[in-house]
Formats: sequence, structure tokens, C-alpha cells
Amino acid sequence: MTAPTRDRYRIIIVGGGVVGLFTSYHLARAGAGPILVVERGFLSSGASGRNGGGVRQQWETRATVRLAREAVGEYRRFGREFGLNPYFRQGGYLFLAESPSEAERLRAVHAIVASEGLPSRLLRPEDVARIAPDVARDRVIAASYLASDGTLYPFPVLWGLYERVRALGVEVLLGVEAAGVVRTEGRAGGIVTASGPIAAERVVNAAGGWSAEFSRRAGLEPANAPTRHEILATEPVRPFLDPMVIRLSDGLYVSQTMRGELVGGRTMPHPPGTAGGMSTSVDLLPAMARSLVDLLPRTAPLRILRAWSGYYDDSPDGLPIIGEDPRLPGFVQANGFGGHGFMLAPASTRRVAQAVLGERSDLDPATFGPARFLDPDRPSTPERLQPG
Amino acid sequence: MPDPSAEPARFRGRPLDVGPDEPLARALARRGRRLLGRSLRYHRPRAPFCGVGHCTNCLVRVNGVPNVRACRYVPSPGDRIVSEAGWPSPEVDLLAAFDLLFPRGLDALHGFRRPAWATPLYQRAIRRLAGFGRLPDAGVPPAVTPGEERRVELAVVGAGRSARALLAATGAGPGTLVVERDRALGLPDGVESLDRTTAAFLPPPEEGADRPFTLLAVGDRGRAHRIRARTVVVATGGYDASLLFAGSDRPGVLTAEGALALAPVPERPPFRRAVLVGGGERVAGLLALWGTHVEAVIAPGTVGPEVARAASEIGVPIYPRTLLLEATGGRRIRRVTLAARGGGARFSLSTDAVVLAHRRLPNSPLLFQAGASMAWRSEAGAYFPALGPGFATSVPGLYAVGEVAGFTGAAITESGRRLAPSLGGRGPVDLSGLTTLLDGAPGPLDGYYPELVDRLPRRSKTVACPCEDVLLGELADFHARGYRGIEVAKRYTGLGTGLCQGRYCVPEAVLLLAAWERRPAPEVGRITARPPVVPVPLGALAGLPEGGARTGP
Repeated sequence: MTAPTRDRYRIIIVGGGVVGLFTSYHLARAGAGPILVVERGFLSSGASGRNGGGVRQQWETRATVRLAREAVGEYRRFGREFGLNPYFRQGGYLFLAESPSEAERLRAVHAIVASEGLPSRLLRPEDVARIAPDVARDRVIAASYLASDGTLYPFPVLWGLYERVRALGVEVLLGVEAAGVVRTEGRAGGIVTASGPIAAERVVNAAGGWSAEFSRRAGLEPANAPTRHEILATEPVRPFLDPMVIRLSDGLYVSQTMRGELVGGRTMPHPPGTAGGMSTSVDLLPAMARSLVDLLPRTAPLRILRAWSGYYDDSPDGLPIIGEDPRLPGFVQANGFGGHGFMLAPASTRRVAQAVLGERSDLDPATFGPARFLDPDRPSTPERLQPG
Repeated sequence: MPDPSAEPARFRGRPLDVGPDEPLARALARRGRRLLGRSLRYHRPRAPFCGVGHCTNCLVRVNGVPNVRACRYVPSPGDRIVSEAGWPSPEVDLLAAFDLLFPRGLDALHGFRRPAWATPLYQRAIRRLAGFGRLPDAGVPPAVTPGEERRVELAVVGAGRSARALLAATGAGPGTLVVERDRALGLPDGVESLDRTTAAFLPPPEEGADRPFTLLAVGDRGRAHRIRARTVVVATGGYDASLLFAGSDRPGVLTAEGALALAPVPERPPFRRAVLVGGGERVAGLLALWGTHVEAVIAPGTVGPEVARAASEIGVPIYPRTLLLEATGGRRIRRVTLAARGGGARFSLSTDAVVLAHRRLPNSPLLFQAGASMAWRSEAGAYFPALGPGFATSVPGLYAVGEVAGFTGAAITESGRRLAPSLGGRGPVDLSGLTTLLDGAPGPLDGYYPELVDRLPRRSKTVACPCEDVLLGELADFHARGYRGIEVAKRYTGLGTGLCQGRYCVPEAVLLLAAWERRPAPEVGRITARPPVVPVPLGALAGLPEGGARTGP
């Protein structure tokens, strides 16, 4: 569908990725229609169709651990509720530390995760062999592991949401860009598209890598900013690697999909921003090859099949931005997920929906609300467990 | 020369009789062994199809390394080669039961969801069957092959007719490097070439750099090259397209290139009686070569006068404007079912091969990657570079000649010759009189697929993407659910995500979707040419020197 059926909605959600679609799902179930989702590209054209599919619960921030735990539960049920199977496989997340300071970070994360009641484990290097026998351990001095973390295929999640929310009466416009925000008496009163304005009582900014730009179009200076990240996949071989493996030293993350491809990325010296578009840089392939062969020596003869890139939507403190923007009533931020939007989406969007409906959620506004970046004296303790 | 006293290469334990420079697939085909693979999901029998190292039909494990293409691999003494497909063997595969159990296909997207407690069991079972080969053996040498970086004035990708004519006419010498995926023959003295090396990635040039282009190329033996060049000529030619019909993935269906790759000598085809598909000059050439082995010529569209003449001289029947509905048989096809377009009755012919020569497609991924502006040409059903004066693409310093630029016949060579003065900075060249594919005529598959889909036999599988075993029915289901566009089709069905990187399935799927969606093919979209152009080993790329500065003297 490329044209709306009405000229006025209760809620317009900008962004048809996992955050926008899941938000529309929770809202539609709460009877908050009519709801319109506008997506500038095709379904899965943004980061929701470009991520590595990791879902983990090991975080430095308690509230994020709780969101992630809820998301894991939702993804376990997803296939039965939505009719499409995302093959969420709980093969665990294995973090590797190679220096005392990295090991200290893993210990700190472990303490928080374990105190939230999740059976996270600190491992010695020799224990790593039982979980991932092919991982090189020569430089590993510590590891942490949580067996209930996992990986999924992002695409069936998008299709399942798309089909379900439309069945619930949500309209999803594809290939329509929100060029601006209609302001009515100091409030967000709708969006502007190439074919004219569409009115709404609430506008949700769930535009992922484009959300900073959309804030700007709404006249708001954004705190978040997009950064290009690259990822690649190898040819499929018989699965040998159960967990997602993350090495803190080079930010390498790699997992093996159900069909056998290794999918992963690593920290690259990219400047922040969207320079290079969604292209692949010439240095990625050799850099990633070095990291992968170093981690999994037996993969050296395996071939890289394709590389691609997408945008992380980074907030200054590494935590999502969820809530109504105090500078523009009616304008709700649902962004800044920093490359972790997909894994948290089922849970985080429930809070977005609450914010849209003006309900209180269990998220501390001082930690997650957009207002936190407006206070220049605010102390900052960034979430540092960034890769994967 | 191989040491005659050396231990011979062995295939599945038996000594292998292989000629010098002979690829494995041809050596095996000479002994009547073609069935090398089984398909990913349904374990359907597969035999060499493309002959140029792109498809997934001839994967073998060589010295502990999985997924080596037998059509490209030249065995060395002492090699240990095994087949990984099939259980217990490619010929007898008990898992082919899946093909019978799921005649309409296995809906993985909606399946395996219930009951909840069975999820880990499903997942374990699927992972035991997934992937083509197993992980490489531990300690397969060499883990990492040292690569090299070099700086040149001119990099020419491809050493075919157009490239050779170009190099001869420019008097190119030192400073020119040719990258050729086979062996570069007939180059002028002093021109250096990297043989059996495939260009894998050419990102857009870096503005202001002394050598703005960086080309990654990888040799068959695993050595990577990072080539910094001032100017790049893409002369990568074309390849024979696939065609959709029921059983088009069966052993015995192959492209003209595939058939030539298996022929022990060009005059001796790798079949007894074949049906040739196509109506253009390529079919005329194949008739001249293999005439007595040709059962019939069938063409999706019209048949050119040169084909009609050649066929009538040797008494080969021609079926123009004919639907190829199905190929049937077991380990080798025995029969094809046809019908005249416009509602003609079905009829069948006996044959043990279907040779596809109806359509050439340009090898254009490098041009897409480099950011050249590309134009859809409906007469060819493909994108070609938009060329300015002197074969210049829209990217300064990047040129395209020969078949990849749309030239055909004698114009392939001629385009290379005429590019020379342009490269030497001696002004624009004359493009007049060059024959191209791009003559505005309706394409050979104009209106073909909608007609075909209506008449396909319902009881047999039409595999839309052989690498991933995606069925035509899955694409139809995708469309029926309201999804649109090839990019979404790829993500929804998995079509185009396999080892051939969409070379064979995507061009056909685009035509099909365009018909179903009732809009021009460019609106159906194209799949981004994600690097690398060909799958490249991690160990080759890991051996490249660190990137370092891209600019400099």
C-alpha cells in the first residue's frame, strides 16, 4: 500500500522496522487505532533487515537486562503467536576477554546479570573448549557465558509482524518518506509526506538510523546519531559453532545460522556518521578475515559469500531513548538503540506504547527518557558492552 | 609437469585419470561420472550445470576443504577428493526421501513451530542436515596465504577478445596488469597478467587519490592481491542464463558453457542427443559444432535465419516460440515436454541433455560495485553500463568494453580496439557501426514466463533457486501474500542468497515478478551486488598486508 485510507489517524509511527512494527502491534492490541506506519524503503531495508540476529541478556544496566530477559521470552513464543518461525535458537552468548581490564568488565557484567536471577557463568579459558571447541583460546584469560542467550533470523519476525498488524487494522505504507512534522498549537499534529500532510494526535519516531534526521525535521536537535557498521556472511557449512562468540579486544562477533553460514562483524575504524552510505569498505574484508581466522583457525579455507552494512543508531550513553520528547508534546522518541534494537524490540516497544498512551512504564525516565540529554549537568555512566 | 612417480590424485579412494590442465568435472565426465551433488533441502540429484564455477552443482571436498567446484578445480598429484553430498553417496541418497515426502515443498518459514517443547529437537535435526560441506579439517595447510599489494597504471579485468584487442592496439606495456580467471593467452609482450585469478571487489574510487581504484582479486590457489590502479577497464564478458521449467535443476540440464566445459574436446559433446535452447547466433555456432548430436532446437522466441539455415542443412527440427515445460528422468534426464506458445498441445522429445543458449547476461557486478550508472535494457533483460564517449562509464577512470558493455559478435573485439585511443587520451572514439545486443527489439523471454507458469505441471518441482532449493511455488506464495519486489523476495524466500550469488536465479525471478506485479522490471528492483563478486577464502584475504593509506605516490 502506498496511500493512506484516511487523512487523520490517532497515531502515526515513522519507521517500518522491528521497533515501529512492534510498537504498532502493542498499540493495536490496546485498541489505540487508527494507526498508520510509514516506511521510507521496503520492508527490511534498514537495520532490521541488516543485523546479525543476536539476542542477549548480558548487559551492564539492570533495566536493559530485564528488557532483554522479557524479549527472550517473547521471541521464544514468537513462532506460535505470529505464525512465522524466526528459528530463535538459544545457543548462548560467549564473551571472551584477553586483558585484565576486559576480564574485569566481564566480572562486573556477570555480577549484575547473576543478581537479576539469570544463570550467567564466568568461565576459565579451559571451560571455553566445552562450549565452543573450535575457538582459539591462547590469549583468552576469562570468559562469560549465558546459555539462554541466542540468535534468530530477523526476517520472519518482520513478516510476522507485518501480516499480524495489518490483520489488526494497522495501515503500513511502504516507500513513503516522512519529510517533516506538522506542528499544531505547539504539539506534534501529524507528518508531511510528498503527497501531502497526514494528521495524527501522536507521532512516534522509530526511524532507526534515520531517526536523528527525522528529529531534525521535527525541529529538534537530536542526541543520537547514525554510524555505519559492516557485517558479512560466509558460505554455509555443517553447523559446528553453538554460541554467539564475542571477543572484546577487536569487537569481533560471530555466530552460525541454522543453515550454516557464519555471520559476523568487528569494530572498524569508521568515523561516526553515514559517510559511505550502505556500502562495504575495501578494508573490511581483510580485517574481518584476519579476525575470524584468528578466532576460528579451521575456518581459513571457508569463503566469504557477501558483505553488507547498515546503520547503528547510537545514543551518547549507549542506552535507548524512549519517551515523549519534552520539547514537542505528542512526539514520542523510540530510538537510540545502538545496534541492539532488534534484540530488545518485543519488550522495549511495550514501553514505547505506554509512553504513546501516556501511561507510566517501569522504565526510569531519568535513564531512558529523551529529557536526560537536555540536562547539561547530568552525570553519564555509559553502557560499554557494545559489540554484538 | 606432474612427477609421474608421484602418488596420483584420488577421487573417493580411486586413482583419478586426469589430463594436464584438465578440470576435475571434465575428467570425471569422461568416465561417465556426472552426479556429484545433492541439493540442499530436497536432496535432488545434481550434476554440473554452469561450467564456470558459479553454481552449486559440482561441489567436492579436496584435501579437507569443503565446497570446491569440480568444474574449476585442476587436480594435483596426491589430492584426496571426496564427495560430501548425499547419504551414503551422491548416487544413493536416502535423504532424497524429502523430495518425495514434500511434493509441494517444505515450508520452513511457517513450519516447525509446534509443539513448544520440540523446538530444540527440530533445531538440532535441522542443524545436522544444514550446510553444504563440513568444516575444513584442522590444520589444512596453508591456513593463511600471504597476499600482495601492487600499484599499476591500468588494470584490465578479463583477457577475452575485447581486452586482447584493446591491449594490442594501445601498445600497452609495463604498468598494465591483466586479471584473468582462466589463463590469459595472446597478450602483447611486457603486459603482465595474473592468471586463474578472479576480481572480487572494486569499490567506488577514492577521489583525489593518485591511484583512485582499489581492486581485490584472489587466485585459485588462495593468493589475494590488492591492486591500486589509476584506470580500470572492465572486460568481464558475459555468461549463459538459466531458464525456469519443471526439473530445470535435473542432471543433464546445463548451459552451453557448462556443456563446453565438460566436453573432452570441443567437437565431442558430453551427451548423446541434446535439445538446444535458443534462436540466436550462439545456437548457430553450437549447431555447427555438435549438429549430429542435436535432437532439436527449441526457442522461447523467434529463430534467426542463421539458425534456420544451419538446422535445415543437417535436418534438425526447429520449434520456435515454444514453451519448455518439463525435463523428466532420474539421475539423468530422458525426456522433455514442450508446447507451442499461445496454447499449443503438449508434446515430448527424447533427449539426454538440455543445453541452454537462449540468452547471454553481462558479468556486471564489478560495475555495480564501483558505482557506475547502469541502465536496464529490456531486450536483454539485464542491466548494462551507461556508456559515454569512448566507452567511459559514469565513474571517471572506469571503462567497460566487450560483452559486459552490451556488444555482440564481431563488435566485441572491435570495441576493444576502438577503446585504445580513448585510454591513451587521444580523444573520443567512434562507436558507430558496432552491433550490440541492445537494439530495442523485444527480448527472447518477452511474455514467456507468465505463459509458462500457467502451464507448468503441478506434480513436479520447479526449482526457482537451485543453490538454496527455493521452489517456484514459494515465490508465488510470496506474491500471493502481498509482498512486492525482488529485494523482499530474496529475504522472504532465500532465493539468490546461495553460492552463485543470484547469478542464475535472480534474472529469471525478476522477469517473473515483473509479470506478476504488472510493472517494468526496474521497478521490481535489483539485488544489490554485495561484495565479493565471487566467494573468496578467509585465508586469502587474511594474508593481505594491512590496509594502510590509500593515497600516496
